[in-house]
Amino acid sequence: MSGATPALSVRRLRKSFGAVVAVDEVSLDAAPGEFLSLLGPSGCGKSTVLRMVAGLLPPDAGQVVLAGEDITRVAVHRRNLGLVFQSYALFPHMTVLENVAFGLRRRGVGEAELRPRVERMLELVRLGPLGARHPRELSGGQQQRVALARALVTEPRVLLLDEPLSNLDALLRDEMRVELKRLQERLGTTMIFVTHDQAEALILSDRVVVMQGGRVEQVGPPEEVYRRPATPFVARFLGRANFFTGTVAGAEAGGTVVALDGGLSVVAGPRPGLTPGQRVQVAIRQENIRLGPAGAASDRANRFAATVVFHAFAGQAHHYVVQLADGRELEVAAPGAALPLARGAPAVIEWGPEDVVLLAGSESGAGGPA
Amino acid sequence: MTGGRGGGLLLPAILLLLVAFLLPVGLMVPTSFRPYVPLVGITNGFTIGYYTRLVTDSYYLEIIGRTLALGLTVTLSTLVLGYPMAFFLARTRSRWRNWLTILVVFPLLLNLVVRTFGWIALLAQNGLVNQALQALGVVHEPVKLLFNFAGLLIGLTHIFLPFMVLVLIGPIQNIPRDVEDAARVLGASWGSAFLRVTLPLSAPGILSGSILVFVLTISALVTPRLLGGPTYQVMSTLIYDEFLQRLNWPAGSAEAVLLTGMVLALVFFSGVLARRTGARA
Amino acid sequence: MTAARLRGWLLRVWVALVFAFLMLPVVVIALASFSRTSYLTVPPKGVTLRWFGAVLGDPEYVHAIGFSLSLALVATVGSLAAGVAASYALIRRRVPGGALVSALLNAPLIFPGVVVGVALLQFYALVHVNGTLAGLALAHMVITVPYVVRAVMASLQGIDPELESAARVLGASGPVAFFTVTLPLIRPGIAAGALFSFIVSFDNVPVSIFLLGAGQMTLPVKIFTAIEYGVDPSIAAVSTMLIALTGLGLAAAERWIGFHRFV
Repeated sequence: MSGATPALSVRRLRKSFGAVVAVDEVSLDAAPGEFLSLLGPSGCGKSTVLRMVAGLLPPDAGQVVLAGEDITRVAVHRRNLGLVFQSYALFPHMTVLENVAFGLRRRGVGEAELRPRVERMLELVRLGPLGARHPRELSGGQQQRVALARALVTEPRVLLLDEPLSNLDALLRDEMRVELKRLQERLGTTMIFVTHDQAEALILSDRVVVMQGGRVEQVGPPEEVYRRPATPFVARFLGRANFFTGTVAGAEAGGTVVALDGGLSVVAGPRPGLTPGQRVQVAIRQENIRLGPAGAASDRANRFAATVVFHAFAGQAHHYVVQLADGRELEVAAPGAALPLARGAPAVIEWGPEDVVLLAGSESGAGGPA
Repeated sequence: MTGGRGGGLLLPAILLLLVAFLLPVGLMVPTSFRPYVPLVGITNGFTIGYYTRLVTDSYYLEIIGRTLALGLTVTLSTLVLGYPMAFFLARTRSRWRNWLTILVVFPLLLNLVVRTFGWIALLAQNGLVNQALQALGVVHEPVKLLFNFAGLLIGLTHIFLPFMVLVLIGPIQNIPRDVEDAARVLGASWGSAFLRVTLPLSAPGILSGSILVFVLTISALVTPRLLGGPTYQVMSTLIYDEFLQRLNWPAGSAEAVLLTGMVLALVFFSGVLARRTGARA
Repeated sequence: MTAARLRGWLLRVWVALVFAFLMLPVVVIALASFSRTSYLTVPPKGVTLRWFGAVLGDPEYVHAIGFSLSLALVATVGSLAAGVAASYALIRRRVPGGALVSALLNAPLIFPGVVVGVALLQFYALVHVNGTLAGLALAHMVITVPYVVRAVMASLQGIDPELESAARVLGASGPVAFFTVTLPLIRPGIAAGALFSFIVSFDNVPVSIFLLGAGQMTLPVKIFTAIEYGVDPSIAAVSTMLIALTGLGLAAAERWIGFHRFV
């Protein structure tokens, strides 16, 4: 980020459709060469932001600034941005070559220069020999590459991607993720990537922007957003966690003690700013809970006796539901290689203070796992 | 761009319809109340005489009755002839299917005067139909098939049959075959599955096809004129004569307003009916 | 399965009979046009092409054919321009009262032609454009524009609006995006609409007959009045020409654009 001019800035962008506020005062910066994801559930306004950046939707208020230049009022076709659509929107009446050449032709690039540029781009996305085909003759993954090539060949200042991988099957999606990331590293293009898939956002991004209800909930690198969610929504949306409500009982230098509603208390890391008596939400991720047979030795701060009430094997992990003495149930994910515990087996669960996420406020009263 | 300029793009079409359709048709209403004096022309004044004449004078009542009777019988005969054909075209897996559909469209696009002319040749005293009937010994004297109800019924049925078939194909195609199979599995015979499942599900098509054929029949001019001659009149030919032979525009306007009213009422009624039965006409 | 097979055959026989009924007058006219007799008779007595020669040698027929063709051409070009723009607006823009507008655009389809004819007869006399080609062409546009709108709207509905967005992001202005992307994709709909429009205009009697000025005569009106005076094989000959042209045009339209999708 440093002091350099952002490749793209969005300032206090607003858009409503009738009475519905789709985008509410959204501000963002993308550094040159950055891979920035807009992550959120459908209807959170992420695609609307993208369409306003592209110029396909006029904002009600706010600015879109491209490398220091205000382009809010610049017509779509003069913005020199790339956009990859969820449906790919390949021109069905043109060949792959013609599709990719379309943007260059609009820029008045001569035929002599056009041909090699298009072919180089097709090589780059590994579609070299398919230039004469029509889009309907290509597989989903190939169509996806044509869409990428078409958007990148004009060397756009920023590439916008609107859920580009959501129409691919799971295996192909994993493959395209890697390819997209490598393409971005190679070309150094600033990319704004809209997705509802949290894993996709975490894997690909330099930074993730989590959105909900037209607002930005949190911006940060994947690890930070995942480990230190700023709001209960972010905690729930990224990964699976167990949620509890409670009251801060003691805040010392060594840690924060929270008395959960219903009896138990947990120890969290030091959290300056929290005062005793304050209501908080507590989130503990499934995979941060260690599960062992009853009696296993440990030095963790949070340690409870539990009974296994559900177990399922899911390849990479074992999924458990365990019940504590007070009837409270928690979801636990243990590594797939670990020896499984049978249903009804007495067990111990434990986690470190650093694994406890504390969120001020307690708007959501639900105590069970999310 | 988005949302804008829609009005501008619509303007030419809307202007065309306002100036060359709605306004002229609307202007017929005032004309229909003006008295017409032979050898003088249309005078300033007000009369409802042309309307009362239409609903009291037996000459006009007979024409209106005949027009409606034709509408009804032509609708029924196109339905009877056309439903099996539409059913066949909707269900067949023949590779000729599209070309058979085109064969239904062909008479529709063929000049109306030409098609009617063919029926004159067929239905005349010494025409092919009478020749055939006499050769088969069905009749011994030529049957009168022109300038009467039978002639108009045959000619108009032929003219409007393609409309009925084309309107029916879609709704029949949209009936899921599973539903019929389900009825058969539940113990219905083919006949009762057809009557209780297929036919009711194609009701929206039957309704819109019938309304279309009825409306087109009572509006038809060319076929009734050529097959009915100047004496066997229907409403359209009456309007034609008022304007071009008798030059009584107010009377013709009143008749045109009545015909238009009947058409609009039917279309409106079918819309209401379709909405009430939850189907789309 | 015998009952099912019997039903299948009965249905086929019925369909064949109805097709025969549909084609009967067409076949009869075609046959009658080759008869050597000077009166209309089927089956024809002898074979001659002289009735075709008579039609093509008759300046009235030749003029009527030329006039009908030019009128149909003008009406088609006019209703294409108005109809494509209107369809685009109705499908791609949020137009207030769009449902009402499309009902209005389709109204001439079910409106009695004779009423349109007499209404325009009176109106044109009132505004002094009676007997003009422009007036006639406008009248024909009113009855042909619904066919264009129907076919083009059907075509537009099948096209992803994102394609035009994609073209614009790639540097095409609104009009360029329309002409390079949308227009080529709706070409079949436009062709079908144009064909419908041309034929509807070329065939029209109920509107034309009230509006023809001195020296103007369309082919169908000419045939219509000729039949009222008495039938002879030259009418069958000109009809046969129309049958052949319509058939060829329709077959070509089916081959090139899959015309059955637009009916």
